Amino acid sequence: MENLKIRPEGKVWQDGVSKSITFIVTKDCQLACKYCYLVGKNSKERMSFETAKSAVDYILSHESQFTEASVVWDFIGGEPFLEVDLIDRICDYIKIEMYRRNHHWFGSYRFSLTTNGINYDTPKVQDFIKKNKNHLSVGLTIDGTKVKHDLNRIYKKSGKGSYEDVVRNIPLWMSQFPFEGTKVTISSEDIPYIAESVLHIYSLGIHQVNINCVFEDVWKEGDDKLFERQLVSLADSIIDNDLYKDYSCSFFSEHIGKPQNPIDENQNWCGAGQMLAIDANGIFYPCTRFAQYSLREKKAWTIGNIHDGIDQNRLRPFLTLDRCTQSKPECISCEVSRGCAWCQGENYDAAETPTAYQRATAICKMHKARVRANNYYWNKLYRKLELEGLREEFEKNKPKSKDLIC
Amino acid sequence: MEKKIVGQVSVEERDEIQSLFERKNGLSELAKILTADNGELYERLIKDMGETGTKFQNWWTRMSEKYNWKSAENGKWEINFDTCEIYLVIEK
Amino acid sequence: MLQYLIILLDDTSTSFCHYECTKVNRKLISLENLREGIFFAMEENMMIQFVYPDYNLPQEYEDVIESIDHSKIKPASCCDNADVVILNSLDETSDFQFQEGIPYVLRIDKENLFSYRQEVRDIIEKVARLNVVITDIDSFTDDDFTTYKEFLSESVGQLIDLYTKGMTPQFNLLTDRMMLHEMNNCNAGHETLTLAPDGNFYVCPAFYYASPCDGKEISLADVCKKGFSVGSLEKGLDVKNKHLYKIDYAPICRICDAFQCKRCAWLNRKTTLEVNTPSRQQCVVAHIERNASRMLLEGFRKKGFYLPEQEIKEIDYLDPFEIKRKR
Repeated sequence: MENLKIRPEGKVWQDGVSKSITFIVTKDCQLACKYCYLVGKNSKERMSFETAKSAVDYILSHESQFTEASVVWDFIGGEPFLEVDLIDRICDYIKIEMYRRNHHWFGSYRFSLTTNGINYDTPKVQDFIKKNKNHLSVGLTIDGTKVKHDLNRIYKKSGKGSYEDVVRNIPLWMSQFPFEGTKVTISSEDIPYIAESVLHIYSLGIHQVNINCVFEDVWKEGDDKLFERQLVSLADSIIDNDLYKDYSCSFFSEHIGKPQNPIDENQNWCGAGQMLAIDANGIFYPCTRFAQYSLREKKAWTIGNIHDGIDQNRLRPFLTLDRCTQSKPECISCEVSRGCAWCQGENYDAAETPTAYQRATAICKMHKARVRANNYYWNKLYRKLELEGLREEFEKNKPKSKDLIC
Repeated sequence: MEKKIVGQVSVEERDEIQSLFERKNGLSELAKILTADNGELYERLIKDMGETGTKFQNWWTRMSEKYNWKSAENGKWEINFDTCEIYLVIEK
Repeated sequence: MLQYLIILLDDTSTSFCHYECTKVNRKLISLENLREGIFFAMEENMMIQFVYPDYNLPQEYEDVIESIDHSKIKPASCCDNADVVILNSLDETSDFQFQEGIPYVLRIDKENLFSYRQEVRDIIEKVARLNVVITDIDSFTDDDFTTYKEFLSESVGQLIDLYTKGMTPQFNLLTDRMMLHEMNNCNAGHETLTLAPDGNFYVCPAFYYASPCDGKEISLADVCKKGFSVGSLEKGLDVKNKHLYKIDYAPICRICDAFQCKRCAWLNRKTTLEVNTPSRQQCVVAHIERNASRMLLEGFRKKGFYLPEQEIKEIDYLDPFEIKRKR
């Protein structure tokens, strides 16, 4: 009998034991995506190497404050590859300094970027990738079919869709990062295109689609029903065509949609505060979503700067946040709450007072729709496997995580 | 290419080789940007690369003797860091 | 549930807590607002605490104030008929005639507290109850923690001597925790609200004096584009996220047994940007007090005052944040 396997869900490198440090290297981008939460993008705020160097010096010289076993040095924009020279210089400095200082992170680090893919094939970007290949993770965003992608991901100046300029770089990207998935964002207008878009991404050779609905309050009456129908249609396609063996879509997970115990399952969803973000002015944030360019209603929530260091008091609310304390009673007692996500930055931005302790629930009906479709997916898949005599084999071979080999 | 499981190591043994693997990669990428002009740091790197490479190879030798893994003429062993499983990969 | 309404009678009403009264020009609450504030408290079953400035109010104000059960919080410089007297510095105590049965609040910064320990302790012997409010807790360093511990340790010895002599003064930093079985915090925003001279409600007076435009680079008011008002006499109360002032919604405090801690929402906001999250300084100071209370309890027991119902366990941390993080 064939050894039945299904494609595992995406796994984050050293998840739970790594510190994520994000440099906001630029607030500029070639695109002006309609759903982008970065309301304050501009072409003026570029990080200088000196600022980045000071941040690295502060972080590496305070090893006792950063005890995580591993580190992910993350570069974000805007579009980070607009600043590939700067990023390259920062990465070199990080490598040399970690080694020179005998820092424990030298033995366990990664560089990470997510790009819109437009200048992916340029010599500078390619040189950077080759130079750091063993420690680099590059995500590339393609939103689905041309129609779906161009609906939102349009050029800032011309308003033209960017699909063609991105899709031509997919083969190169896949050859360099075959285990990477793409990130798809769903807003109200995207719903009719979800199923065809995920299938389209699979057809491009991308095996992992990480997809989520925006957390902002953008949803219209009836969106949940439409969303559910799209996911059911997608489930049918994935199962009927045996795509589940080689491809995965983060909308479908066996673990979501169950009630949660308020004692044992009380962890915060979001990693804000566990992370550190640094902007062009050398200001520290608990996550990039707390920087001013990400906030519509509130002022930036800073936790220090490269000169004075981290104000540990300002980290305390994030490090003690739990699910129940920030949730409404109906969320705590919700029968399908497992997997219902939130973004701490959006919670803060949408809150009635300046607090990170008020969970935004705009996503509620979309989560419930997802749970219904997810239940359908697993019930259908299990029945199919049962009928094919593969259920037992499937259970035995449940995916653990993607292979890492040396 | 043929790939099959031929054994498994303990978590502690996996941690040892994973750490060496990471260090080896880190040193080789550092070697792309450090030159003899960097003096003392460069000399330290060269020495370190040699030592780490030896320790890395020694681990495979030590483990293969301990567990008596199956081998093949055109084969090499690989480890899955998540499961601690050892594969024999034969190029065809 | 709301229980107390603090009415600031003037913009220059004395501070009685950690905050500073930042307004320098006198501005009385309007008589209309005063009457409406009293009416509001009566309808909401709230006990009123009037906070006075350092000058005598017009008689018509006193007449309105006397129309309802209340307590008066007054500065030492103008404290006739006060129910609680505020000493805004040690200087005010030198020739002061302390009265029996009245609680006194001494507002003092750490430098003066540590420099004039004996002078502070001398007050304990003169009054039925002394509340010491350290006005700059948020600036405590590790050295300050050590000095504070020494000060409290010395005060433990003094209190044991006084009780042995038959005197029973209360000193908030030491005797309160000894008598408590559960949290007894300020509870601003949950049990207590403040009506300011501008006719608006605030969680506590500190939020009234913290202007959203205080000009600091990253001030606590900066995180919100709006001010700190939580309603007005005209539009009614509107305390958003009211639950965050309750202990059940304070992840660090709800696992803590430094029951005497003020758990000051204002200091929390100032230092951590969240009303429900205390700073390290607040926690460590409260635990140094808690542990000193434990020493006091042990000392009392050696002298034969048993307090059988009470127990303060020995613990090996000073900041419950560490315990919360381990869970």
